[in-house]
This record gives sequence, C-alpha cells and structure tokens, in this order.
Amino acid sequence: MMHAALSQSTLQSPLPSPLLIDELTMIRAPLVKALGALGSPTHQIASRAVRTSAVLAQTPAKAPEKIEVFVDDIPVQVLPGTTVLQAAAEVGVEIPRFCYHERLAVAGNCRMCLVEVEKSPKPVAACAMPVMKGWRIKTNSDLTRKAREGVMEFLLMNHPLDCPICDQGGECDLQDQAMAFGSDRSRFTDINYTGKRAVEDKDIGPLVKTVMTRCIHCTRCVRFASEIAGVDDLGTTGRGNDMQIGTYVEKLFLTELSGNVIDLCPVGALTNKPYSFVARPWEIRKVSSIDVLDAVGSNIVVSTRTNEVLRILPRENEDVNEEWLADKSRFACDGLKRQRLVAPMVRMPNGELQAVEWEGALIAVAKALKQANGQVAGVAGQLADVEAMVALKDLVNRLEGETLVTEADFIKGAGIDVRGSYLLNSTIAGLEQADAVLLVGTNPRYEAPLVNTRLRKAYVHNELQIASIGPKIDLSYQHDNLGADASLIKDVCSGAHAFSKVLEGAKKPAIIIGADLLARSDGAAIHATISEYCQKLNKPDWNSFNVLHNNAAQVGAFDVGYQAGAQRAVDAKPKVLFLLNADAGKVTREQLPKDCFVVYIGSHGDAGASMADAVLPGAAYTEKQATYVNTEGRPQQTQPGVSPPGMAREDWKILRALSEVVGTPLNYNTLDELRSRMEQVAPHLTRLGQLTPAGNNELSAKVTPSKSINGGPIDVKQKELRDYFMTDAISRASPTMAKCISAVNKQQRLNEQSKQSVAI
Amino acid sequence: MAGREAVKRAVQQVRPILSVDREEARKRALNLYKAWYRQMPYIVMDYDIPMSVEQCRSKLREEFSKNRNVTDIRVIDMLVIKGQMELKESVEIWKQKGHIMRYWKESQDPKPTDFLSKFIQGIN
Amino acid sequence: MSLIRQVLCRSTPTLQFAARWASGQDLGPIDLNTALARPDELEQRNKLSGKITVPVDVNLSPISGVPEEHIKERRVRIHIPPKNAMQSGTDNINTWQIEFDNRERWENPLMGWSSTGDPLSNMNVQFGSKDEAITYCERNGWRWFVDGEDKPKKERVKNYGVNFSWNKRTRVSTK
Repeated sequence: MMHAALSQSTLQSPLPSPLLIDELTMIRAPLVKALGALGSPTHQIASRAVRTSAVLAQTPAKAPEKIEVFVDDIPVQVLPGTTVLQAAAEVGVEIPRFCYHERLAVAGNCRMCLVEVEKSPKPVAACAMPVMKGWRIKTNSDLTRKAREGVMEFLLMNHPLDCPICDQGGECDLQDQAMAFGSDRSRFTDINYTGKRAVEDKDIGPLVKTVMTRCIHCTRCVRFASEIAGVDDLGTTGRGNDMQIGTYVEKLFLTELSGNVIDLCPVGALTNKPYSFVARPWEIRKVSSIDVLDAVGSNIVVSTRTNEVLRILPRENEDVNEEWLADKSRFACDGLKRQRLVAPMVRMPNGELQAVEWEGALIAVAKALKQANGQVAGVAGQLADVEAMVALKDLVNRLEGETLVTEADFIKGAGIDVRGSYLLNSTIAGLEQADAVLLVGTNPRYEAPLVNTRLRKAYVHNELQIASIGPKIDLSYQHDNLGADASLIKDVCSGAHAFSKVLEGAKKPAIIIGADLLARSDGAAIHATISEYCQKLNKPDWNSFNVLHNNAAQVGAFDVGYQAGAQRAVDAKPKVLFLLNADAGKVTREQLPKDCFVVYIGSHGDAGASMADAVLPGAAYTEKQATYVNTEGRPQQTQPGVSPPGMAREDWKILRALSEVVGTPLNYNTLDELRSRMEQVAPHLTRLGQLTPAGNNELSAKVTPSKSINGGPIDVKQKELRDYFMTDAISRASPTMAKCISAVNKQQRLNEQSKQSVAI
Repeated sequence: MAGREAVKRAVQQVRPILSVDREEARKRALNLYKAWYRQMPYIVMDYDIPMSVEQCRSKLREEFSKNRNVTDIRVIDMLVIKGQMELKESVEIWKQKGHIMRYWKESQDPKPTDFLSKFIQGIN
Repeated sequence: MSLIRQVLCRSTPTLQFAARWASGQDLGPIDLNTALARPDELEQRNKLSGKITVPVDVNLSPISGVPEEHIKERRVRIHIPPKNAMQSGTDNINTWQIEFDNRERWENPLMGWSSTGDPLSNMNVQFGSKDEAITYCERNGWRWFVDGEDKPKKERVKNYGVNFSWNKRTRVSTK
C-alpha cells in the first residue's frame, strides 16, 4: 500500500518516467563501460598488433639490408643470418623447442623445432637454420605437425610416465608440449618386458637432484656448464639409446651457478634438491623481488605458500642478471626460517636477553636515548635497506648524533663524496662489451658471480683480455695473473707495465677494484692512483673506473650519506649504538665503552643480536618493500612475499615508532612519505630500476693528497668455492649452505685421496 | 609515485544512467532523502530498534553527507539506485534488526589510525 | 478511433504519424509507448538515449562496494608478469597486471589450506596497456605504482657454425 507508492515516488525523476526496472536494465551497458577499462581479449590483440607494427615500421630504417620472409604468410623483415625460430618469434609465433635456449649455443639435437619450409624436401630444424630471402615457413602445416608428433613419440618412448611424482610436474616443457603437439595415443608396447630405458641417478651435489631416466638429452645443462659457468664438468657419454649425461667419473658438480641447470632442464631430470616434494607450481604465489645476498641486485621471483618462502627463482633482467641466479641467492632462502628474531628482547640485569612486549622494548631504548645526550651512533650492516638507513640517519641526527657508518670498510678519509668513485661505472651489462679488463684485489667469481658471467661472456664472445692483480685464483676463464704485490698497481697505472699497453689500446677498457682492497691503510692511494689512470682510459661514452662491492647495502648507504668503517663508530665512544643489520662482528663489546647501550635492529640472531642490550626484530628482504642499490648504482625494490614472523616489524617502522616514543617523531608515517624524504636526500633513489649515470670522478682524484702505495701482497677474502657460501646472517643460518660447504670439503678430500693413490 | 599523468582535466561523452544533468541528479537524491525521512518512524517501529526517530534521521543525514563530494552524475545516479534498494529492503522487512543497527556500529572493533598503535598491533 | 485522434492532436511530435497515416501508405503497427507519451516524456527519453558530458576522471570508490579500508590503505603494483624461469613458453606474460600489496597468509590448522584475510589478494585483472591499468586504479581510488617497463627484446645472433669455429673461444669443448 504505502510501500508501493513510496518506491515509485523516490526514484522517479522530476518528470514522470517509466518503470524502475527498465531504467535499471538500461544502466547496465554504460556502467560496464564506466567500471572498467578491463582489458578485453580484442584489446590485447589490438595493442600487440600495434607493437608488432611499430617494430615493423622502425626496422627498415635501422638496417636496410634486411630480408623478407613469411611466417605462416605473415611477412617479416629480419637481418640475414637470423634463424627460422627467431624470425617466427618476431611475429609472435612460438616454435616448440627443447634443446634451443636463447642464451646458450645452438645445439640442434632435439628436433622438436622442425618446421616445413615451402619447396624444401624435408622439414628443417628451425633453431639452427638461417632464413633465406623469400622463404615461406609453415609452422602449423600437416607436415610440421607430423614431424613434431613423431619427435614427441620418440622422446616419450624412453621417458618414464612419472609426472605424478615428478617435481617438474606443472611447469614441465615436455608435459606441456606433449599435450600440445604429441599424439593422443601411444604405440609403445613393451615387447619383451625389457621396460623403458633406465639410467642410474647421479650424485652431483647437495643442490641439484638428478633423476637421469627422465633426461631427454637436450644437453642444455652441458652447454650451460661449459659456456656460462666455465666448468667443463658435465658432458655426454655413449651414443644413441645408451647416451647419458653426467660427470664422466662420479664427481660433484660444484660451481657457484649450479642451480641454473635446474631452470634450464626442460624435464624433471635435474630438480631442486632442497625443494624436492615441497610444493606444486599451482599452489604457490610468485612475488617479484630483488636479491640482497650480494651486491649485484639480481632480480628474483620469490615463491611462497602459507607465509613461507619455498624457493627463489631468477627473473629476467637483461641489465642485471640476464636470467641466471647465483647459488647463494637461490638456495639460502631456508635461512629465512631459522635463527629468526621473533620478539623484542631486552637484556636483564643478570645478563640474559628476555623477550618483552614492543612497548617495553621501545621504552627501554628511549630511556637510554634520553640519557645519551647526543652521543648516539649508528652502524648499518650488509643487509640494511635504504629506507631503514634514511630513518636511522634522521633519528640519530634529531638526537644530535653525527656518527653514521657502514659496517664494511672502504676508503679511509674522503673519497666517497663523488658518486662515481664508488660505483661499478661501466655497468654490469656494459662489461659485456669490454675488451680489456684488469681486476685488482677482487674475485668476481665469488664476490659477484653474475658479474663474473658477464666477464666470461665477453671473454667467449668478445675476445676480452683479462688480467688480475691479487692472489692466484680460478676465475672460470683464462686470465693473466700479474702478481699479488700492490706496487704492481703503480706500475700499471704509470703506463710502464705490459698490460698498460693493452688497456690503453682497448676500445672499452675497464679496471675493477675489489671493495675490500680499498679498506687497506693505503686504500685511498690505490683508489686515487687508479681513478687518475682511468681518466686517461675513459672514452666519451665509457667510464672505465669500477668498484665491485660485495654487499647489498653499501652503495645505498654511501648514497644517503653514511661514512665507511665501523671503527669510526667505536672511536666516537657512543652512549647508545644502533646496529642496523650489522652482523659481521666488526664491532665488539670490548671495544665499546662500558656504559654503551647497544640496540640491534635486524632479522637474524647473529653476532649483532648476541652483544645487544635491546634487540628489536626486523624484517628480512622477502618480508618488506624496501630499496636496495646495487654495485652499479641501480636502485631496485624488494616486494614482501610473506609477512614478518612473530612480532617482527619492518625496519623503518621500528625506527619511526622509536622516534615517537623518544618524543621527536619522524615526519613520515607511510612508505610513500618516507620515499619522498629519500628523494630529498638523493633523488635517484626513487627512480627504481633505472640507472642514473654518476658524475665523473675527476674530483676525488684531485682531493686525495697522499699517493703512496705501501706495497705488500694483495689478498681477497673469498678464494675458493667453500668461502662463497656463508657471508651474511641469512646464509649463515641456512642448513643448505652448510651442506654445500661440507660437500665441497668432501670433494676436496676425495680429490686428495685419488691424487695419493695415483702417486702410489 | 611516478607522476599521475593519467589525471587529465578532460571531459568525455557517455551514455547517461538516469539523469541527464546535475539538477536532475540532485532532485533524485533529494527525493530519495525525503522518502527515507518519511519512512523513519515506520522503520523504528517495524524493526523495534532502540533508537529514536531523531537519531535515525541524523544518521540518515550523516550517511548522505558522506557522499556530499560526489560530483559525477552517473555516480550520483548509482548511489541513488543503491539507496533506493536499501530503502526497499528496509520497507519490505527483507532486512533484519542487525542490518539496521549496523549503521551505528560495525560488527568488528575499529582499527587504530595513529602510527604507534598500528605499529604495536602489527597492522600495516 | 476518436481516442487516437484526440491523442494525435494533443502531441505535436506525433503529427508525423498523422501525416504518414494520411498519406495512406503501409505503415505497420504504431508503437503505443511512443504514441501515447507526453512531449516532456519524449524529450526525456530522447535525452536519455543521447550522451551526457562528464569529466574523464571518475571516482568509483563510493559505488564499488570495496570497504574503505581497502581503498585508502592499499597500494597497487602495475607490472608485466615475469616469465617462469623453469619453462620456455611465453604465453600469458604479454599483458599488464595489477597486484595488491601482500598481506598475511597462514596455514589452515585443520586442513592445511592456505588462508588469508585479504579479499583483494586473488584479484587478477589483466590489461592491454599500462595506461589502462592506471586508469582503472585511479577510478577505484587506489594508490598505484608502475613496476618495470616494456622493454624491446634484445636481438641476438644465433649461429650453429660458431660451435665449430677453429679460432674463436666459442668453439665447443664438451659435447
């Protein structure tokens, strides 16, 4: 009665309008349009078409000698020498493949990429065959499909049907391609009950699990080991049906890049040993992030499930890590679950650390800060992110403290005022084009494995000449060891040495200095000498001066104005000392004044936490959105994949909360506000993923007064593979890394034994 | 982040939902308001809620003022349609007492807004 | 008949009907809805079938039904999904996607399922371009940032012959 009248009166327009229902149905169409620019399939196709046509439009201008071929009747212009497979990829046609990999040499042995070419009597292997002018390639013809089906049948004949218990299941190229291109029935009959081909599994180390029966002999792993890793450990033995992939004699495949063969393997023959039987790919969530266990800043994908990091995979970034990942970055993720600080702790009068609530811990620290009267210092360790370092700097400065240092040593005195004087100026990708490189006091193979792969790439493809000053080490490629004496630096830089001629004659020469070398007492002199010499070597678009750092926080810390060397913090005799992820043990209790109150902020219970009076649990790199700057000065951010364990909080938030308890609240409440503060401090820090070219480093060379290099042997810390695995709090907590070290030791024992037995 | 270049001071031509101009949209909103206003005594009575008609009407005003900054004609129309649906549900007793009382109190505890208490409770 | 005439006389727009009627051609049935409408009704209907002018940047957050907390406090990451390193296929990674900041997840103690309190964590929307994604976020009132860019693929020269070159380091040692 009244209701009906009412419902009509309300919605009614001032003008009498038809029924409400009509109007409601009418609105649907415009509303959908308004609600979403939800990319429809047609839209995507359209945008892709625009992209391809853009490519087509610009190609003739760039290289007029391009030749035209037709892939499924779509014309495409390509450079001569392009393979059929690459030409097809240009128009978005993906040809199935197993053995072909973009970053490896062409092998052409799986035959999966066979395609029909008009007027060719037989199908051709697309991955190895260069295109000829006017070729008409048919990637979906009857002949092509028949060829694929035949290849697939042969592959599956000797492949076990164990997908349900195979770790590759769900992300297996063979599985997918068998579905897409294989036959729908099998002609395989086990005539004499001989079974399928079976191959014994091989023990090639604690990281890679092998099920060799599944192997389809694509030889990607063999090519990776010999081309990229530079370790000729893997190879094939036997022929035909008896062919096997292995290490010839039982031996561990020990290299700092061994994990990449897991990714490369298109089937489940090589799988991740720590991750075996842990999860299926459709259960996990993938978060794109950045690795912080070395200074390269490799791009990674963190796979998580139920608030647990399960594995880490590389993410393609042509400028940083291509698509490789070093073993420490890949396998140390189980260290994120161990030795974690999960509650704030305060040291009781009896000397024990007692877990307390956040309020209690913050008040305890605030009390100490109030009594400190400005005698506050901060030390940032190797895993500290830029956000936390900026917050710590602001907090310490507000409390009238001045001393802010990084735990790792660098040049004593001035020398980091100019950004170019502490970066890898040639850039990681740029090193690929270098043709003469001098390594001074560094072992890139273990300090930054993915910089080393670039050097090796240049060595293989660009005829790069490499020399090193320092101890004799195996860099996985040939190089001249000039000697270990520091006076050699002077020789080379004065132009007297034989290698100086090589450097000076090179188109793109580079000198790479290890960061640890510059911590020597004559580090400033070495730095000045080399940087002066590099002025001479520099080309208009090429900076030859490079510093290779070995921890992720260093460049970011210098960018926001931290000084180098924990000793400065000790010398300042602080009343309150902040250790931000500082776990290297450079600061010890004995060095500090008796009444110094040490506050540790970090994720792992390691050297820093054990000496602290108050422990504030922070987040590890997979648990926070934080910026890290890599050795070439590229700021990149991590993304949180999981939430911090227990009561742990993001590092910058701890400092922000603490500042409020002390009574001088920092004026940022959100990450965005903190980022704009960072932009004030150093504008390039918010240009994520981009490289801001550093200014010239002329200045630092002139500023430094003394130029006497003391001589004495140059040493590097990480000489062998065994030294590589544990370098920071996360990898020290990782059981997998511990297994790696014992495997290396075992292999060494075996090698010695076999040597002895040969001698007898 | 990264310059909001998408915000452009531009206009577009679209299909209307109910109203063709601001004035009409305003009239619809007022009509809806009046209908709710007149219905309040019945809502209080039907649902037997521990609120007076005045309290209900001030809440009504509050709910409408929440969207006072909306200027887009189509958004106003959608809000009117949604409000009409709510009204219909209240009138027909398709709602229950709890639904009406939720206008006054959320079923969960309010979350802190200042940094320190958010930090201590571990809320992002 | 007289009724129809009455109606026709009353409204000017329907005069055309009268004219057509009078011309005696084959007309088909008259739409009564139109024929019986008053002029202001017709005008309104006419307007509704046309277009109105509104600002391009529209804020849909009052009507999207998303709780206020999830509009003000979330950051959206606009990105191209990375290729899976374990596989060589490149399907489904050519579009832009939006992704919300990650919130806590836990294992269901009874079944071991993965649980979350975050209603937006499973929202997976694909866009044809970065700008579409940005517009979508702007309309819904979310803070956003773009991660990564659409870089052209590097061209590589692949050559089977270099495996066997006699004077280059590309010669393959291990088979």
